[in-house]
Amino acid sequence: MIGTLGQPVAADVHRRQEHPLGSFVMNLPTKPSETDTGLDESKAERDHRFETEALAYLDQLYGAALRMTRSPSDAEDLVQETFAKAYASFHQFTPGTNLKAWLYRILTNTFINTYRKKQRQPQHSGQEVEDWQLARAEAHTSTGLRSAEMEALDRMPHSAVTDAMNALAPDFRLAVYLADVEGFAYKEIAEIMGTPIGTVMSRLNRGRNQLRANLADFAREHGLIGDSDGE
Amino acid sequence: MVSEFEDCTEVLRNLYAFHDHELTPAEADEIRHHLLACEGCLDHYDVEAALRMLVRRSCCQSAPESLRLRVRAIYSQTILITELTD
Repeated sequence: MIGTLGQPVAADVHRRQEHPLGSFVMNLPTKPSETDTGLDESKAERDHRFETEALAYLDQLYGAALRMTRSPSDAEDLVQETFAKAYASFHQFTPGTNLKAWLYRILTNTFINTYRKKQRQPQHSGQEVEDWQLARAEAHTSTGLRSAEMEALDRMPHSAVTDAMNALAPDFRLAVYLADVEGFAYKEIAEIMGTPIGTVMSRLNRGRNQLRANLADFAREHGLIGDSDGE
Repeated sequence: MVSEFEDCTEVLRNLYAFHDHELTPAEADEIRHHLLACEGCLDHYDVEAALRMLVRRSCCQSAPESLRLRVRAIYSQTILITELTD
């Protein structure tokens, strides 16, 4: 009966020192280890804690996964895989530390290791966009928007913003999402993305400049704000 | 005045970090001080604040109920196995 569920027998798990996938992502074990049952928390208690604490981030992780994969079905698969990994290693998570950042790290690793490889579609080469964007930023007229025009942006459809996000290169997009939408600190983003803080800041700068310029262009093209520079 | 322009350049360069609360308290105070006195930079600050709100508002999406069920199944299946083996 139990075998039909496709779960390994307990003894098997016990003997297996390391799961072959163990080195795949941050040494996440794929099954709770035998020793867990001896800890101060029962499995039922842990499941309850997972339900109340980890599952609370479902919407947020899904939003992030949507931005990463740009596809609702891939986003669902990615989030499910993320929670499966998180559940399998939840006994290793130290209560009181940043659960949200921990979940995002698993999400990001899972995305990079599986989905991005699968998704190898040509991105914007990026170079020319980045260069003109940098030039724009250096001229301190990164958007050309004035605060008096910002009310008009309330009429901007959400799809325009998500399209502008989706147009960013993946690393820029993720950095901007983690900072602007999730409000993570640079240090946390560095840990989640596995990069130095300097790289985070550079991705944020360029991603944000590009995003804001795209939004301003959209607003101008759709007549939400005045065409200030005659282009 | 050249020195004032230099100030604005510096302020605008640090505007993202200021919004992100990533500056030291002393640096943030300097920027606040400058924003109170400089309408041009304050305008940039307001635009950035509005754009952030726009981005945040647009990217909030709830997960479909089917996904919630799929995620719950990850551990309810395990609970079932425990109950069977106990």
